[in-house]
Amino acid sequence: MSEPLPAEAFAAALAGLPGMGPARLRAVLAAWPAEEAWGRVAAGQACERAPVALACRPDAAGVAALWRAAARRASPERVWEGCVRAGVAVLLAGAGGFPGCLDDDPDPPAVLFSLGDPAVVEGRRVAIVGTRRCSRYGREVAYELGRDLAAAGVRVVSGLALGIDGAAHRGALATAGAPPVAVVGSGLDVVYPPGHASLWADVARAGLLLSEAPLGARPEPWRFPVRNRVLAGLAEVVVVVESAEKGGSRHTVEAAMVRDRQVMAVPGSVRSPVSAYTNALLADGCHPVRDAVDVLVALGLSTVPAASADQRPPPEPGDEAGVLEALGWEPAAFEDLCARTGRTPGQVSVALARLQHAGWVGERGGWWERIG
Amino acid sequence: MSSSIAIVPSATLLGVEGTPVSVEVHVSNGLPGYTIVGLPDAPCRESRDRVRAALLSSSLAWPMKRITVNLAPSGTRKGGPGLDLPIAVGLLVASEVLEPEAVSGTAFLGELGLDGSIRRVPGIVPLVAALSSPVVVVPPDCFAEASVVGRHTVRVAGSLNELLAALRGDGPWPEPPVDGPSAAPAPVPDLADVRGQAVGRMAVEVAAAGGHHLLMSGPPGAGKTMLARRLPGLLPPLEGDDALAATRIHSAAAVALPPGGLVVRPPFRAPHHGASAVSLIGGGTGHMRPGEISLSHGGVLFLDEMAEFPATVLDALRQPLEEGVVRVCRARASVAFPARFLLVGATNPCPCGEGGAEGACRCPPGARRRYLRRLSGPLLDRFDLRVVVTRPDATEVLGGPPGEGTATVAARVAGARALARERGVGCNAEVPASRLDEVAPVVPGAARLLEYRLRAGLLSARGLHRVRRVARTVADLAGAPGAVSEEHVCLALSLRADLVAADAGDPPSHAGVRGLVSVPGSRRPA
Repeated sequence: MSEPLPAEAFAAALAGLPGMGPARLRAVLAAWPAEEAWGRVAAGQACERAPVALACRPDAAGVAALWRAAARRASPERVWEGCVRAGVAVLLAGAGGFPGCLDDDPDPPAVLFSLGDPAVVEGRRVAIVGTRRCSRYGREVAYELGRDLAAAGVRVVSGLALGIDGAAHRGALATAGAPPVAVVGSGLDVVYPPGHASLWADVARAGLLLSEAPLGARPEPWRFPVRNRVLAGLAEVVVVVESAEKGGSRHTVEAAMVRDRQVMAVPGSVRSPVSAYTNALLADGCHPVRDAVDVLVALGLSTVPAASADQRPPPEPGDEAGVLEALGWEPAAFEDLCARTGRTPGQVSVALARLQHAGWVGERGGWWERIG
Repeated sequence: MSSSIAIVPSATLLGVEGTPVSVEVHVSNGLPGYTIVGLPDAPCRESRDRVRAALLSSSLAWPMKRITVNLAPSGTRKGGPGLDLPIAVGLLVASEVLEPEAVSGTAFLGELGLDGSIRRVPGIVPLVAALSSPVVVVPPDCFAEASVVGRHTVRVAGSLNELLAALRGDGPWPEPPVDGPSAAPAPVPDLADVRGQAVGRMAVEVAAAGGHHLLMSGPPGAGKTMLARRLPGLLPPLEGDDALAATRIHSAAAVALPPGGLVVRPPFRAPHHGASAVSLIGGGTGHMRPGEISLSHGGVLFLDEMAEFPATVLDALRQPLEEGVVRVCRARASVAFPARFLLVGATNPCPCGEGGAEGACRCPPGARRRYLRRLSGPLLDRFDLRVVVTRPDATEVLGGPPGEGTATVAARVAGARALARERGVGCNAEVPASRLDEVAPVVPGAARLLEYRLRAGLLSARGLHRVRRVARTVADLAGAPGAVSEEHVCLALSLRADLVAADAGDPPSHAGVRGLVSVPGSRRPA
């Protein structure tokens, strides 16, 4: 071997061992320098140190044996080669490139894998999170927040999931503003969800992808709440756009509160199940987010509310105004609109076509919605 | 005389077409025995035992001679028990119980019971149509079916003895049975039963008038099935060749025919989603049976819970939808079944059934997308009409005024179909794209609207043709000749929702639309 392996290679190899969660990895890397730690683990001596044994309860001996067996089959050289080939950098806690905002985290990741420029993290950061099963309203708000915050120079941090996360990143990529940051739950070479492959590549190219999971790690369900704490730790403000009562956003919000990050929520219809949690947050005293300016004010970047300048032509009185009023702010089918207005399907369809042309309403899957 | 021969005309069924068969019976001296040749299938070969028992029960002698039955042409397969009666008659002639003159020019169809009774067989209409002899003898309850063809003198006989007496001239031919008043057709459900549902009603009306396939999406209880069942009542009655084709198919599939014998009311078939591809398309071992798509020829094929059908079964519908005929090929035979039908699909928007709009249901996002993705793009593309049906408002269900009845709407539909016939097509859905500019020009305002949709990517070129055909039908129904107005184009667009687009992870569609009309976002950060 021509040159010795860096500490990062051993840390990456350790992270790839089975049963190696964030807490155990932290304990192992705190007990020894990375290279020595690998040697100890491979020799089955990992649990000789009390903090490691504590992290491996209740079956410390079993975990040590499991690691020893796995370490015999693994090789730091191969892991390191894989990282280099994939262009993935390994960031060690406390070392250069590791996000400074995670230094005083109560539960910091010991190792972060990154794709893109790690320096991108430095700057103002806002997390935009929410449900995968969002409504059109949520998707649009997330998109606009992402776009407008990025345009204002704020890094949009999100999880690249379906729904709100993806929309926020798409919005951030739509302007030539601040680069987006994504924290994902799977290994950086395992694109999840598969439908977001191109978005995943775009974020890596324009900004930064971070993951605590080693290369090749499947998107196992336990990784997502764990990921959410990193997401919360990276953000200065966490904005929840839409989330059902029992959504995954709850983990992010709880993690943010533990870390003293400000949580803000986008108000939604009181009848919409996917706004139940955000409305509950507002009732508990969170600041509401109406647009990017509200977030910028919370960051101390702006105190001037933007001028409201709606340039859309106002709907014509009569059919158009009547249909727009009947539509309200919740999705409705063509049938509903005919029933509510008492107009013929022909009249309603003309009014909808004109309103759509003017940008007042949008249609998806046969459902019409008012655009804010 | 050492041997004698008799030849009796009859027919056998292949798919929905009859093939003439000459039943040749040869009786000669020799070791008593019975041989049947000419590719009979199992029920046909078993005819020996039925014929023998029927003759003995009718106090007729079974010749203790060597009997050979040949079914000519001997190269094609003969199926079913319908050749029992001609074999028996041939045997009676060959054994000189009957004079050959008594049966000349007479064809026979029917199955024999062991007691000598003559029973009905499936496919009487195509079988009779295949016969060229002037007189046809059929079982009594097949009289109406056999008379549909109209080229033959139809005689009936309930048993071998009755038949023998009539053929010998010892007695009159039995009177054909008369349909009792109890056989009046079941009433068609009336469109007036549907309260509210202006869009759903309009969609079935347009579907009936223009022959446009219709897909309805909506939660359980929204009235999708109710609307679909009222669609056949709006279609004009079947005429001429269509009626005869439908009758032949129903007869061949042994589906009960209406009292008059001729199928004039457009059929309505609603197979369950457990249906196999063969039951839908036609085929099967033994004889080729027409499938549900052929049974709904000239009428409506309703697929409820469409997303629950196996994808392979649904995709098998694509070719017949395009061609109006389905060619079923098997190793032994290949037959073409007519299959020009109006396809009406109904589906829930997602597995839980509740979620119409995004964000309103309990299904995981992936499950929702996967559910509707079972309907393949090419199949969805064949639905000119795609509407969301919602549960009607309670006040409309309870106290709303009844809508127009089937009779009123059917009259409008007949008017629109007459206009389509003047254009040289059966219905507007059949207008070729090359003739759209001539048949369905649009007013300038509507043209601008369509152009905007095309440029914004909200409409494809093929979608444009389909929208124009539907718009033509809508205008025809409204009694508006000439160029299609903006209202009718808008209506056609509204009746063609992209039901599967929901939940795609695309950026909001209005982002592009706003750019097109240069409307920036309402509030931007300073």
